Amino acid sequence: MNPSAIAREFLETGRSASCPVVDMHAHYGHFMGIYMPNHDPQQMIATMERCGVELMVSSGHTALCDMVRGNAEMAEITARYPGRWYAYLVYNPNYPDLGRAELELYDARRTFVGLKLHPSFHQHPLTGEGYRPALEFAAARRLIVLSHTWGGSAYDSPAHLAQVAERYPEVTFLAGHSGYGQFEECMALARERANVYLELTAAYAVRGLIERMVEVAGAHKIVLGYDLPWFDPHYAIGCVVMAHISESARRAILRENALRLLEGRRRV
Amino acid sequence: MDTSPAYYDCNVSFGANGAGVFRPCLSVEELLAEMDWVGVERALVYHALMREQSPVVGNRVLAESIAGQPRLAGTWAILPPQTGELPPAGEFFKAMARANIRALWAFPEEHRYILDRLTFGSFLDEVSERRIPLLLPREAGGPRPPDTWNLVYRLLGQYPQLTLILTGHGPWGEDRYFRPLLERYPRFYLEISRYELDCGLRELVATYGPERLLYGSGFPRFAMGGPRLMLAQAEIGAEAKRAIAGDNLRKLLAEVQLP
Repeated sequence: MNPSAIAREFLETGRSASCPVVDMHAHYGHFMGIYMPNHDPQQMIATMERCGVELMVSSGHTALCDMVRGNAEMAEITARYPGRWYAYLVYNPNYPDLGRAELELYDARRTFVGLKLHPSFHQHPLTGEGYRPALEFAAARRLIVLSHTWGGSAYDSPAHLAQVAERYPEVTFLAGHSGYGQFEECMALARERANVYLELTAAYAVRGLIERMVEVAGAHKIVLGYDLPWFDPHYAIGCVVMAHISESARRAILRENALRLLEGRRRV
Repeated sequence: MDTSPAYYDCNVSFGANGAGVFRPCLSVEELLAEMDWVGVERALVYHALMREQSPVVGNRVLAESIAGQPRLAGTWAILPPQTGELPPAGEFFKAMARANIRALWAFPEEHRYILDRLTFGSFLDEVSERRIPLLLPREAGGPRPPDTWNLVYRLLGQYPQLTLILTGHGPWGEDRYFRPLLERYPRFYLEISRYELDCGLRELVATYGPERLLYGSGFPRFAMGGPRLMLAQAEIGAEAKRAIAGDNLRKLLAEVQLP
């Protein structure tokens, strides 16, 4: 049996007192292609409790569709859970005037710790002009930017991320889903660029990938996420704690790397 | 008395994959070691050659590989009877009994056939009557979810008594596809390896009971650790957990009638 003390804690109690989890890729609310039984704020907080999750950072599903309505909604909800629930501001390049206005609201929204970009959903390349205002804004404030990345995408492949990561070294990029399907390219990027991190949502399930990421990019370049309220945190955590990596690597992925990235960026 | 669940993984394979995986599982020994690592007692297995080369080769290799392994139960893959690559039904079922094979897989996408009554006729009637579970991968109808679900809807419409296990049915939540099948067909089962939906198991068990959910991992393409911790900590009763972890599968396999 896996000798990990963290794994044993999770298997026996569902949480780890010695390693509370930090979730860097969450959402909130309903979404078109999926039935989610656990979508309201109280239910999501209950899931965090059940799974030993100390804090999470969300972008609202509403915001992916309607950033004005959704960012406001996310600001209101996260304000109810200070120190526990933070948010990314969603920027949609298809509405530049609205986007500019949203960026202007960022400083007043104290629970926001960065930006969320979803080039595939918004069908605009990460390298496109439409994202320039958001990335310049993030660079000026040295923010975290969580971008959806997917292998072979015309909008947000690892190659797209490589371009903007080079152009904006002040921005800390989280490669959402670690460029799913083009993992080797994304891992190489995380190894080469100090400002690129691998984010595990969905990717965690691929057997051997976490071990490979640790080997190629280093455990210090990996953060956990699981698209809550889509995916059960225990599924993601199970993949990490049962991976054939060191206990210190498990701790780094589940918690320490994210806390380090959030340092100085949390205003609540 | 130990009442903790005994995990019996119904969706495991071993052997070399042509395209490779990050961490392959080439042998029974490696498979057993990983089962020990995550805490899984038994597995219902297929060999990669059954899927990637041919059931003609892979079925034999599987039977040879797991002979004498008490923790592993075997499956074979089927092919359309028209090409005569596998023995006729009577001989096939006898051979299954001799090799202690208790379930079947169909890989219609890779093996290029239509999984329906026109192709399989009375063969799948007999599979149904013998209560032999037929496992289907989520990609059975192609990469798009509706294609596989259309296949399953059609197949169960033609063989309503078939014991059908849909495996790895997609992490993006496919409740809207499969719930009508759970309500209509009492021998339709779901393997939960990619049913990652937060609180999904709790909701499914509350609505339909635990009887038609089966623990699986999709190993070695997917990691064993995710579904293992998810089920261990699911917000369902201990009895439901034991049922999903292994008792449901044990019951299914005990019902199989071979000559």
